[in-house]
Amino acid sequence: MPTLAETQLRFRDAVVHGDMQHVSSLASLLLGGRSPEKRLIVHQRNYRQSLVDALLTKFPATGWLLGTQTLTEAATRFIRECPPQAPCIAEFGAGFPDFLSLSPPAMRAPCVREFAELEWYVGKVAIAVSGIPVALEELSTIQAEALPDTLLELQPGLHYLNISWPVDELMELYLSETIPEHFELLPARVCIEVRGARGEFRFSRLDPAQATFRKAISEGHSIGDAAESALEADAGFDPGRGLVALVDAGLIQAIRKGPDESSCS
Amino acid sequence: MKSISNISGVGLRLPHLTEMVATLPSAGWLEVHPENFLANPHAAELLAELSTHYPISFHTVGISVGSVRGIDRLHLKRLRSVIDRIHPIFVSGHLAWSTYGNDYLNDLLPIPCNEEALRVVTAHVDEVQEVLDRSYLIENPASYVGFCSSTMPETEFLSELVRRTGCKLLCDVSNVVVSAHNMNYSAYRYIDDFPADAVAEIHLGGYTREEDEATPDSELWIDTHAAAIAAPSWDLYAYALRRFGSKPTLVEWDNDIPPLSTLLAETTKVDKAMHATDPPCVDSGKCNRNRSEGHYADAR
Repeated sequence: MPTLAETQLRFRDAVVHGDMQHVSSLASLLLGGRSPEKRLIVHQRNYRQSLVDALLTKFPATGWLLGTQTLTEAATRFIRECPPQAPCIAEFGAGFPDFLSLSPPAMRAPCVREFAELEWYVGKVAIAVSGIPVALEELSTIQAEALPDTLLELQPGLHYLNISWPVDELMELYLSETIPEHFELLPARVCIEVRGARGEFRFSRLDPAQATFRKAISEGHSIGDAAESALEADAGFDPGRGLVALVDAGLIQAIRKGPDESSCS
Repeated sequence: MKSISNISGVGLRLPHLTEMVATLPSAGWLEVHPENFLANPHAAELLAELSTHYPISFHTVGISVGSVRGIDRLHLKRLRSVIDRIHPIFVSGHLAWSTYGNDYLNDLLPIPCNEEALRVVTAHVDEVQEVLDRSYLIENPASYVGFCSSTMPETEFLSELVRRTGCKLLCDVSNVVVSAHNMNYSAYRYIDDFPADAVAEIHLGGYTREEDEATPDSELWIDTHAAAIAAPSWDLYAYALRRFGSKPTLVEWDNDIPPLSTLLAETTKVDKAMHATDPPCVDSGKCNRNRSEGHYADAR
C-alpha cells in the first residue's frame, strides 16, 4: 500500500492533468462503486471548472478579443501547466498574460499579452482601497533641501505600464461596447497609468517622463531619484510640475521624510 | 455579543456583499470564506463594516490540514491578521487536503481514515490552533471515494482528532446525506456515532445528482451547493438537532447563487426546524432509537 505522500502525489497528478492515465494509478487504492476511480472525475471537474471560470471572469475583455472558446482552451492549458500557488483565487492569473503570449492566440493577436496585462491590472486596482490624499499644503511644509530625499507613498490602486501596443484604445472599444466599421491597431509605445479603488477604475496615457517619474516614486524611490530618471527620459521634464500634478491627481497618500523615517501624514 | 446557539446564519458570497451592506437585511449571522477577502481589500473593508452589524464566522477553504507535505504558514499568518480585524465567532475548515507542495488544487480532496493520516491532521490542527490562538472547527467531508487503506470509520477518526487536539466539529448534515448515499452507509447511524459533545456548528447545503460513472444505472450525489436544501437533508437535520441539541446552523449556496432574498428565506426554514425540535435526549446520547432503527433498515 503506498504511503499518504505517494497517494496524494498521484491524486495531484490526476486532478491537475485531468486524464485517465493518471487516474488509473489510483484505481487499486480506492473504494466507491464498481469502478471508484471513475468518480475522480468529480475532483477533476471541480479543479478545471472553478479555475477556468475564475480566469474567464478575470479576463472578459481578453475573451472578447480572442473569442470565449479560444480563451477557454488557453485557460485549460494554463491551469494544467501552472496550478495556483496560493489559496486566494483572487491572486490567481497574474501569469496568464505571459502564458497567452506563448500560446497560439498570440499569433492571431500579437497585442494579446499587453491587452490581457492591462485587463489584469484594471481588475487589481478596482479592488484596492484608497487612502485620504495628501494636500499640496502638506507637501509645502517640507524644506526645499529635504525634498529630494523625501519618499512618497502612493495610493495602492495604481499601476504603470510601458507597453508596445496602444491596447488602451482597444480596451476603450470593449468598454464602450462599440464595434467600428474599421479599426486598425499598429504597434506604438505608450505609457499608461491604471488607477482604481472600491470597484471603480480608469486608465490614461502619460508622457514618458511623467510616467517614469510616477513609476519610480511608486516603487519607493525618493523624489530626487525619480526626477533624475524622468530627466533621463526627457531633459525638458519639470520635476516641480510633475510633483504638483501628482498631488492634484490625489495619488499621494503619505509623505515619508527620508528612507529611515516613518510616515508623517 | 448575543448567543447564536439557536439562530440560523447564511453563507455570504461576494456577489451579495454590496447588497448586504446597503440593505442590512435581517440575518442571524454570516459566514464567509476568508480566502475571498485576503486579497481583496475592498471586499475586506465591506466585511469589516458588516461585522459591526452581524456576528461573522470564517469558513476556510485553503488551510488543507490533510496535506502530507505541510500547510501554508504564510496563508495561516494572513488568516490570523484578518481574524484579528474581524473577530469571527468561529473559524472552521475541512477534513480534507487541497495543497501539494506549492500547488493549490482549489478542491477538497479526500484522505484515508487511518493512523498515518490522523497523525498528519492532528499535527496540522494543533499548528492551526496555535497560530490562530483559538479553537478550530473541522467539517466532515462530502465523499465520492473511500480508501482501501482506511482502518477506522470517519466518525471514529473525528472523535480521535477531537481527543488529541481539543478541536471542535462542524457537522455538515448535507455532506452526511451525500456521503452516505455515495459510499452506501446509513446517514442516521453516522449521526449517532458523530462525537456530539464536540459539535459547535451545523451546515446545510444543496446537492445535485448525476449518473455515477463508477456504477451503471446509479446516481452519484455531488455537494455542489448549487440548489435548495433537499428533503433528505431536512429530515436528517431534524434528527441531528435531537441528537446534538440546537446548534448555530448555516445555509450554504455557493454556485448558481440565487437572489439574497431566496437565500435568507432558506434560513427561516432552518429557524422553524430548530424551534420545532424537542430538547436533545441526554441519557444515552442517542435519540429516538425507534426512528433511527427505521432508517438503519433502509440502509443499502
